[in-house]
Amino acid sequence: MPVVGIPVERLGALLGRRLDPSELLRHLGHLGCDVEGYTELERVRCRNCGAIHERTASEEIPPTCETCGAELRGNCEPLAPLEVIRMELLAVRPDMFDPGGLARALRGYLGIETGRPDYAVGPPAACLTVDPAVREPRSYRPWIAAAVLENVTLDPDALKIVMKLQENLHWAIGRNRKHASIGVYDFDTVEPELVYTVGDPQKRRFVPLGSPSTDERHAMTLREILERHPKGIAFAGLLADHARYPLLTDKTGRVLSMPPIINSEETKVTAASRRLVIDVTGLAERTVQRTLNILASSLCENLPGVQLRAVEIRGPEEARRVTPDFTSQAITVSTARAAKALGVDLDPERAAELLRRMRHAVTVQGETLAVEVPAYRNDILHEIDLVEDLGIAYGYHNIVPSLVPTFTVGGPRAIENVAERARALLCGLGFLEVMTLLLTSDDVHDGGLGRAPATDAVRVANPVSSEATMLRTSLLPGILETFRRNVTHPLPQQVFEVGEVTRLDPRAETGARDVRHLACGLTSARAGFEEVKAIAEAILREFGRPWRLEALEVSPFLAGRVAQAVLEPGGPAVTFGEVHPEVLERFGLQNPTVLLEGDLETLSGLA
Amino acid sequence: MSTESSYPREQYLILSGLANEVGEVTVADLARRLECDQALVAAGAQMLSSSGLVEVRETPYRELVLASGARELLTGGLPERRVLVALLEAGRPVLLTELPALTGLTSAEVGGSLRRLAQKGWAIKEGGLLQLGPEAARAASTPGEDEKALEALRARADGRAHEGEIALVCDLERALELLKGRRELLEVRTKRLRRVRLTDAGRARVAAGIREAKTIGQLTPELIATGAWRQATLKSYDVQLGVASRYPGKAHPMQRIIAETRRVFLEMGFDEIVSPLVESAFWNFDALFQPQDHPAREMQDTFYLAQPGTIALPGDADLVERVRRTHEDGGGTGSLGWGYRWEPERAQGAVLRTHTTAATIRALAQDPVGPRKVFCVGSVFRREATDYKHLPVFHQVDGIIIDARASFANLLGTLAAFYHKMGFQRIEFRPGFFPYTEPSVEVFIWVEEKKDWLEMGGAGVFRPEVTEPLGCQVPVLAWGLGLERLAMLRYGILEMRALYQIDLEWLKEVPLCR
Repeated sequence: MPVVGIPVERLGALLGRRLDPSELLRHLGHLGCDVEGYTELERVRCRNCGAIHERTASEEIPPTCETCGAELRGNCEPLAPLEVIRMELLAVRPDMFDPGGLARALRGYLGIETGRPDYAVGPPAACLTVDPAVREPRSYRPWIAAAVLENVTLDPDALKIVMKLQENLHWAIGRNRKHASIGVYDFDTVEPELVYTVGDPQKRRFVPLGSPSTDERHAMTLREILERHPKGIAFAGLLADHARYPLLTDKTGRVLSMPPIINSEETKVTAASRRLVIDVTGLAERTVQRTLNILASSLCENLPGVQLRAVEIRGPEEARRVTPDFTSQAITVSTARAAKALGVDLDPERAAELLRRMRHAVTVQGETLAVEVPAYRNDILHEIDLVEDLGIAYGYHNIVPSLVPTFTVGGPRAIENVAERARALLCGLGFLEVMTLLLTSDDVHDGGLGRAPATDAVRVANPVSSEATMLRTSLLPGILETFRRNVTHPLPQQVFEVGEVTRLDPRAETGARDVRHLACGLTSARAGFEEVKAIAEAILREFGRPWRLEALEVSPFLAGRVAQAVLEPGGPAVTFGEVHPEVLERFGLQNPTVLLEGDLETLSGLA
Repeated sequence: MSTESSYPREQYLILSGLANEVGEVTVADLARRLECDQALVAAGAQMLSSSGLVEVRETPYRELVLASGARELLTGGLPERRVLVALLEAGRPVLLTELPALTGLTSAEVGGSLRRLAQKGWAIKEGGLLQLGPEAARAASTPGEDEKALEALRARADGRAHEGEIALVCDLERALELLKGRRELLEVRTKRLRRVRLTDAGRARVAAGIREAKTIGQLTPELIATGAWRQATLKSYDVQLGVASRYPGKAHPMQRIIAETRRVFLEMGFDEIVSPLVESAFWNFDALFQPQDHPAREMQDTFYLAQPGTIALPGDADLVERVRRTHEDGGGTGSLGWGYRWEPERAQGAVLRTHTTAATIRALAQDPVGPRKVFCVGSVFRREATDYKHLPVFHQVDGIIIDARASFANLLGTLAAFYHKMGFQRIEFRPGFFPYTEPSVEVFIWVEEKKDWLEMGGAGVFRPEVTEPLGCQVPVLAWGLGLERLAMLRYGILEMRALYQIDLEWLKEVPLCR
């Protein structure tokens, strides 16, 4: 999870109350925030573009400015350090990513200001026409929503907050810009009639954000941006199957952005910007609307005095609307059901008060509560989500843990009982248990043993390393690997493992079957067939079922020094013998070694 | 009249040996002169001192020992020396990122040397740049006291020396101060030097005459059968002397945690269940209302399989349809759903199960009525490279309680009971967020040694979007808890991968009863 630093002083100002530092952390924890603690950030400002770069004591200043790309070293001015609360982003609560949104939630939780916050939206300040081309399969990014903010004053810190919020929303709701991507622009650089359209990758050109100036010689075609601009390269995959690329322009054709890749340099927001236009484009209407609501309402919280104005979306029937739309979602909550689900005592008035602290609007109607959810909440799908909100407001720490009143009888699985006895048996014979990894590779697993690659192994399509490409089908490689890793350890060494091996099995529901195996190995200067046969017989004797021994030839054993025990009924259950010296060489072992592997399901008669 | 006294061999030799000495002699010298094992001489002297014939005087001293692996580390000098040399050779400030190439050190070693460089005044870090410090010029020609001490130790085959020997070649206290905390280089052991001398009583006893007693080490069947043992003196053992170690066969430490976990849930009336390691995306994700574009489902986090590549959807087509609709628009559950098109193909993907919740959700689908309590302990897989806190395979315990009378408070109570039984008294519950539970909670236990809360796992009440499509209309309490962390706390292990390092030495030494 990405980590965010919430400036302590700004948060205090937004709360309207200075809280004791440890108390604040406790409240944040109770709200579900994963807080790392307080820390001081060193900060420098890029002399080229004014962007602020922050770093903790363990981080280095990046070599170049992330905003403008200029060389930073020797070209930045140090600022006063900033005390922040470091916490992991709570992915389900993007409305709490920024100081303003977090303060909004805390004010409610602490009872400073409860109920649903209302944001006045002024009449449309712009219109935005959607070109039906954005709904065609080869240029698909159908949804857009936008808003205008007036009376904006942006100091560099506020600018930093806006940029970070944008970045974090891209991560959490946008799924790395795929589902939703955000643009923020200086409204005074464009005409108030906007067009959401598509552009030809080869012909359409504009100067992307991060260029040294808006001079036309820095212009690139849309294709060039994807191929050469750092942001273009990073997000090119999102437009991979597009014949034409989404483009937001004004009516004169001036480009604001190429969603979801990059804005234009010309419409860049600076500390001097007084009016902003923000847009969200994406693949699903709900996500796009919610993202805009979160962004717009958070900006209102972070930039006191700002006035929100609507944008009228025009174009095809299904796209037409006025945004942002802060209409609440209405959900009915039964107090009795909520109290029973949580296991606490609640009356409707108390429940309503708790939900108001979570910033919902609530009307008590007898036993039920009519709840209106703020439009910036992205995580309320069902009544049960409000029950959780209620529980959080009540405080998990205030709920008294208790046990279920119903009596039930439990029991272990039969194979676990067998496995436990097998362990006791091997321990009694003086063997030490090892646990080796279930993931292995052809090289170690079968190559090491001198076998052809298993045809019945479960294989991983996206391995993370060449050592972990398949599930083991035998425990023997793990035993040999154990000896290999302990070549300097005193002899004799005797180890065992009881665990699952997995084999493809077309009759199994999932196409593969896990079988519990037992394996043991002994290595010493005098290890030999007689010894392993005695061990095999001890094991077979303790399982108490009749067996007979057969000679066979199988890797990794020496021909003439290997046998299998066959149960009747049951079939082959245990194989044991002396390991072939070629195998010993491959594992770097210099002492005679014997191995045994058995199938516990067959041995115990459970198969 | 004085009579001759008899003593076991070592004591006899000590007494007669010391009678030839004028004053004190060290145990080591005495053993050499007597051609005896030093430990036996020490033990003998101790016995004689308890009967007042010999006086043993102990003085503590420090023994300096090169740490194992230190010789290798010191090839080419201390890391900070190698950095200094590189800086001097470069004749300019150098980027930290250049140093590994210039010095042959790893970047971690370069990082580690920075503090020493600053401390010794050899170099100063400014941003990503390193430049010579005020002491650099002097240090260039003169080795530090610590370096002198290490060099002297390196010159010795056994890498160890009495403090006095090292004090001859350097300022010992300064060297030890510089090397404080560098356990990878130097170990300082406190030892005792034992000196012995004959007391007056001892001298008198020797003068009166002593002889060596005939002693027997091993009692044999023959000695017992013939009764010859009656004429012999059985040698006394020094109970402090070391013997060859023996180790029992025993269960793996992780296996013990698993066994304990199983026992606790069995004690609480839970039925044990199982599910396959190879699982369909349907049961691993979709049945749990995890949207198909959820990051956890991506190739980056989950092992998808090439063989078997796909797994058929459950035969119950109605069930699949209910799951589809719930994802898309909530179906009949009263939920909004996730608002996307659910694709059956994605639910057919074969994965290595990412949680044992796959087992509990299958159990719920099989018998959704209850009341019922089940649990599963097993291996789960995440697509992670192995490092100090991640493993691609680890263990979880999942459990569910299906019960019309169950509440969130009961979930907290069950989790508290589990951790209490596992030996953790302080437990805290904090809000958590998972796609398939609501309310959700994260469990933390207090770790006194760390003075901190440690997260153990997630839990919650299954969402209606999970239970209702399976035909379950009652609350289902659910949890998935990691077990490796419990093992790490129990056995004092700092790195998760150390649990599976298959180091026989560790497996033998870690106590069974911990």
